[in-house]
Amino acid sequence: MHRLGGVGIAAFERQQQSQRSFASLSSEISQAQVDLLHAQLDQFRTALVRFASTHRDSIRRDPHFRHAFQQMCAKIGVDPLAGPRKGGWWAEILNLGDWQYELGVQIVDVCVSTRERNGGLIEMGELVRMVSKLRGVSGGAITEDDVVRSIKTLKPLGAGYEVLDVGGGRKMVRSVPKQLDEDQAVVLSIAHQEGGRVSEEILVSRRNWSHERARAALENMLLRDGLCWLDEQDETSPDGIAYWVPSAMHWDE
Amino acid sequence: MTLSPYKTPSGYLLPSIHAAPPFFTKQPNPITQATQTEHWSRLILTYARHRRLFSLRVEDADVAGGEWDEIFRNERINRRLLSPHLEYILSQMVIKNQAVYDPPKQTKSVLLFWRTPEEWAEVLHEWASTTGQLNTILTFYEIIEPSVPSPLAGIPISILRKAINILGKTGRAQIIAVADGEGVRFLPSGGK
Repeated sequence: MHRLGGVGIAAFERQQQSQRSFASLSSEISQAQVDLLHAQLDQFRTALVRFASTHRDSIRRDPHFRHAFQQMCAKIGVDPLAGPRKGGWWAEILNLGDWQYELGVQIVDVCVSTRERNGGLIEMGELVRMVSKLRGVSGGAITEDDVVRSIKTLKPLGAGYEVLDVGGGRKMVRSVPKQLDEDQAVVLSIAHQEGGRVSEEILVSRRNWSHERARAALENMLLRDGLCWLDEQDETSPDGIAYWVPSAMHWDE
Repeated sequence: MTLSPYKTPSGYLLPSIHAAPPFFTKQPNPITQATQTEHWSRLILTYARHRRLFSLRVEDADVAGGEWDEIFRNERINRRLLSPHLEYILSQMVIKNQAVYDPPKQTKSVLLFWRTPEEWAEVLHEWASTTGQLNTILTFYEIIEPSVPSPLAGIPISILRKAINILGKTGRAQIIAVADGEGVRFLPSGGK
């Protein structure tokens, strides 16, 4: 995937970007210094490439090593997926591009297949579990970290894949372009605290919302967005009505 | 709260969605409703197959103590399927040929096709063949209430008749009038 605005080494790969950078640099430092910088970066890149090919298998197989490697890249300003060639020039050395691509496809697969049940919003833990099942034992372990990174690469697809933080350390993955409005985010957060169940009464008592605001938020999620299910046999509510958010419920399939 | 599959006393494995309280309320969102109806249809057909139940009435959801309690009620979460909802689900199953209104021209009672009539035709012919009953005349009664357990036991007459008609089209069965009812003669396949 071709990435605009790559950082670190990658930026210098692209002619126009290089020219702009050199133009701004030359006003402050001499050409000799620029040449030196160039040479050092080249040296650095060679070392990095050697490192990468030596540890290629570990990066693909071991999530902890992979995480540490990606942390290192981030620290020194290297984006493993950036570069002019498809998947970045890392792709040829690491075949990380293929690995990322495969994971992206699996994430999309799980999101699309659960969409009718949860309206396009899935809890991160459930997503990781289901993708892991898809990959099987031979796929190698993947972590939430891997999924978050992979979803970043899906952004250019414009399909709306995004990671949402709903508080309490919990994350959701949204796979439909519809933006969650702030009220819905609150409803989601409460749903997570309550094992999936939300009601007008809870929103009124806990967040000081008016009944109208609570009802509007819930009805929108239900009818307009398909993000929750209706329960008319609820024992606690005065009118017997409660709403359940499937993505906040734990499914043991 | 974890939603898990659950094995009923009769040995049927209920899917996790059956443990979700809103599963027992007819959903207003059309997409969600389609998913829900799909789940209920599958549940009904596979349960019917498991218990060899051929017919279902809308009131089976309301009257406790019947054959369908294991799926229309979930005591663990204090929920039950309401009969208007069941009536809707049945209407969708009829549209998809998973069931047929029986008697016709009403919407409260169906026969379930947990095997399609075509599948029943094959089972029927296979049974006649393997029990050495080809070329002999059998009454419908003998097929429906066999002296020895068979895959056709208890099958409703209308389904039996459909299956026989299907076999008739390929020359593998002939309906014969017998003294006190209807009979059938099964013929070998293929005519080779």
